[in-house]
Amino acid sequence: MDYDAIIVGAGHAGIEASLALARLGYSSILITQNLDAIGRLSCNPAIGGMAKGNIVREIDALGGEMAHLIDNSMIQYRILNRRRGPAVQAPRAQSDKFTYHQKAKWTIERQKGLALFQDTVVDLILSADKKSVVGVVTDRGHKIGAKVVVLTTGTFMDGKIFIGEWEEVAGRLGEPAAIGLGGALREKGFKVGRLKTGTPARVRRSSLNFDLLTEQPGDEVMLPFSFDTKSVERPSLNCYVTYTNESTHKVIGDNIKRSPLYGGKIVGLGPRYCPSIEDKIVRFPSRERHQIFIEPEGVGTEEMYLNGVSSSLPEEVQTAFIHTIVGLEGAEIMRPGYAVEYDYLDPLQLYPSLESKLYSNLFVAGQTNGTSGYEEAASQGLLAGINAAQKMAGEPPLILDRTEAYIGVLIDDLVTKGTEEPYRMFTSRAEYRLNLRHDSADQRLTPKGYKVGLKSQEDMERLRHKMGQIEVVKELLSQGKGEGKRAIELLRQPEYSIEELFEFVPEIATYDEAILYQVELDVKYEGYVKRQERQIERFQKMERISIPQDFNWDEILGLSTESRQKFKKVRPLSVGQASRISGVRSSDLAILMVALSRKERS
Amino acid sequence: MDTVVTLKVYSPLMDQNRYNQDDIIFALATPWGSSAIAVVRVSGKGSIAKTAQIFSRPDALLKGESHTLVHGSLMDPTTNQAIDEVVVALFKGGRGYTGEESLEISCHGSMAAVETIFDLFKDLGMRAASPGEFTFRAFMHGKIDLTQAEAVMEVVSAQSQKGHSLALRRLEGELFNRIEEYKGELLKLMSILALQLDYGEDEIEEPIEFPIDRIETIKDSIEELLATYNIGRLYSEGAKIVLAGATNVGKSTLFNLFLKEERSIVSSIHGTTRDFIESRINLEGIPIRLFDTAGLRETGDTIEEEGIKRTHRLLEEGDLILLIFDGTEHDEESLSLYEKLVEDPRCIVVWNKSDIAPNQKYSNGFTISAKRGVGFRELSQEMLFRLRKGATALDDQQLVIESSRQHGELMRTRDALERVIELAQGGLPLDIIASELNEALNGLGSITGEVTSSDILESVFSNFCVGK
Repeated sequence: MDYDAIIVGAGHAGIEASLALARLGYSSILITQNLDAIGRLSCNPAIGGMAKGNIVREIDALGGEMAHLIDNSMIQYRILNRRRGPAVQAPRAQSDKFTYHQKAKWTIERQKGLALFQDTVVDLILSADKKSVVGVVTDRGHKIGAKVVVLTTGTFMDGKIFIGEWEEVAGRLGEPAAIGLGGALREKGFKVGRLKTGTPARVRRSSLNFDLLTEQPGDEVMLPFSFDTKSVERPSLNCYVTYTNESTHKVIGDNIKRSPLYGGKIVGLGPRYCPSIEDKIVRFPSRERHQIFIEPEGVGTEEMYLNGVSSSLPEEVQTAFIHTIVGLEGAEIMRPGYAVEYDYLDPLQLYPSLESKLYSNLFVAGQTNGTSGYEEAASQGLLAGINAAQKMAGEPPLILDRTEAYIGVLIDDLVTKGTEEPYRMFTSRAEYRLNLRHDSADQRLTPKGYKVGLKSQEDMERLRHKMGQIEVVKELLSQGKGEGKRAIELLRQPEYSIEELFEFVPEIATYDEAILYQVELDVKYEGYVKRQERQIERFQKMERISIPQDFNWDEILGLSTESRQKFKKVRPLSVGQASRISGVRSSDLAILMVALSRKERS
Repeated sequence: MDTVVTLKVYSPLMDQNRYNQDDIIFALATPWGSSAIAVVRVSGKGSIAKTAQIFSRPDALLKGESHTLVHGSLMDPTTNQAIDEVVVALFKGGRGYTGEESLEISCHGSMAAVETIFDLFKDLGMRAASPGEFTFRAFMHGKIDLTQAEAVMEVVSAQSQKGHSLALRRLEGELFNRIEEYKGELLKLMSILALQLDYGEDEIEEPIEFPIDRIETIKDSIEELLATYNIGRLYSEGAKIVLAGATNVGKSTLFNLFLKEERSIVSSIHGTTRDFIESRINLEGIPIRLFDTAGLRETGDTIEEEGIKRTHRLLEEGDLILLIFDGTEHDEESLSLYEKLVEDPRCIVVWNKSDIAPNQKYSNGFTISAKRGVGFRELSQEMLFRLRKGATALDDQQLVIESSRQHGELMRTRDALERVIELAQGGLPLDIIASELNEALNGLGSITGEVTSSDILESVFSNFCVGK
């Protein structure tokens, strides 16, 4: 055995997986095609946003790295939806993509027990009995052995990019694809599919007419994503807003046949939720305009990202339609937008631990599982890393349920329902979102991070201290009076914010904004959270009825053929998970419950 | 890491090892008691071949087509004597009620004969079914959904013709369709909310006005469905009506008028009806248990005291109380003696003997002559009105809610929708509103069995009687 663990790919999933394994004491090697592309923000230069911001804070609470990276590279910070309610408030930050990459690389390089090696993995090495993975083969012929392998190949596995009629085998523009691995995995029995995603053009800052663009500044105070970071002092840059118009839509409509998507060149399904501008115009013909956010790619670069007009039309068409947009009439295009099509592995072939059902000791995370987004990738990478470590330690895997974390929702959806288009996390996917606030991620998950060994005694101490402070502030509010009422009663009313109570209870003004924010949301929504907790109890009752991994589904009599096939494919580990498999009949669940309770008695 | 806990499913149907689906079960499908014909149901793989072993024409059973009737006799294999002449309905290839091969044997309704048949079945290795087991198997084989399973229970226990036809409609899945319709509407609204939840305020240009009126429409429909619960129960479970009053006011005469036959002794001696007499009547389709009680008066007679105690118990349980006075005494002060009863909302005051006390006017109640039947129609109408609590008469086209589980889930849904409206009017954030909307959706999902939890299954199947 050369290493305990091999991590393939150094994107957002690979970073988290390799750091988690090394920090837990397992000698690890991170193999990437290009050491200069570690932690690259390939698309949008931003981290967080709706639901995704919550995921970043969950990663942090468990002991991951992403929040540190964005805290140290942000160039604008905003809390979205301050007025829309606690469950949909989320932090989002623009990032300086150079700093982000540099901090990621530096963090990995300084990590003890983690080797970093540039090569391309082309195949897996199987054990003699062909039941588990014991290493990898690289392009330059290295055979590296390990107890576990974590696969995080992103868009690189047999990646192909498209700009109009032009196409190239690549994972990102100018970066070669990883050829061979997809085919090798197909041969080993993996169900491999094709997905598509895309990115918009980058334009030169000095060629934009700022007089015609609407400024979008960040919040005055930059708040950290990480619970470890006390405060953030970084430059804040503006974003800008503009819109497409009828002329834009006409240029695109006239050239739609030249799009590789509509011309039939791309077979992979694209993300419905983050469509290209061609898609938007074909699917919503009645919309008169579409919004575009112009975002800086970093400090010390002229490149600006055109969020909202991702496209794979020919370059001259991209130039033509961009020039119809107000403020972009003279925009110089520095890099064209393009589409990328890549191999992904059907996530139904994974257990909730992210370990493969086909070969043991193989873990898969990130875009390889059909997801889209840095945050989605990073969270899977972290859990794959943790669970690979748990496996080597002989401990049960860390599986988060849908009531505990967005990460739990994400992984449960992937391994229970699978995905046929790039899966993006949304607030509405989480049924128990009132409990999944970003500010409470540490309460929910730090004890779990501590238990697996990624969070320290001091982290736990800090959490206890925070909880203590929250109690003190609540107590002060219960005792304080204003307008003839107890201050805590005032806070329950929608028209009062916690800042407006400073005049009645001046003592609370000295507490951290994070503490006050949480007290405010806790108090305002207490009743609704309580009701949600009852729903959670009902949910967990089904979740706790576990099904053994080696359960013989052919033994249960009376199951419908359709449900039996679905159960055998997904191999759910609880009745709760079984109930979420699409198309499973309730009568089959009843049969399953009867069979399980009988099995337990015998 | 939380270790995975294996939790035992606490359910009566699972706890007792009785829902084994591999064997052949049998039960009497008609009530236990003498009747012209009794039907015995047999279900399970191999049930036809087993039955053929004791049938006079085994080949007719083995080769007969599904959904046909076979005439023959059940034979005692030891004596080779015919036990009973029967007609067997055959269900082959999983097309029976349970989704298994099964038989329905119509035999003569002597319980002695039925017991002999059961002994034969047991000798063949069949097993007497547990309560609800036939329907449980039907559910397990996907033949029926949960609302249908509950309807089966109601068909079986529906006491009147009308109750029966309502339950039959439910069996056809009408409730299921209706609930699905509401659910579809709510899901549409949910998807509008989801759009607002999923994108930042700067990403969606036009914030959407929350459609309170659409929620109100659905809530109203659910209210209507809820209102049918009492009336549904009325037709399936019936009502208790108690005749009360002092001795010799004509309770028994009225009782007999209801029965239209002489069943209790009617005399002019006070206190003849010492205990109570019960009879079943049918008031425009509502099954009624009518009680004629001992007279309410002070007495030293111990037998009568016992009767009065029972009368009081009945008065507590009755859905409706007819408090009868002797109209010839034209003494409204006697009302004060029964003050508590008169003020009870279940009570109707009746002034009897209008034939011998004509032209008496009373401020409260109905004037009748039980002897001549005068005023009886008006009284019956009032009784119906009170029983239905103002709801209009029920026709077969109307869908009603009859199980308390469904009623509970609909209430949960209604309450959640009320909160949705309240929150939306109060301008509360959409994520809070969405969580209440989700609660409403869960309520509806529980009714159709889409949201399956062990407690739902438990509550549905624990209410069955054997053989259904």
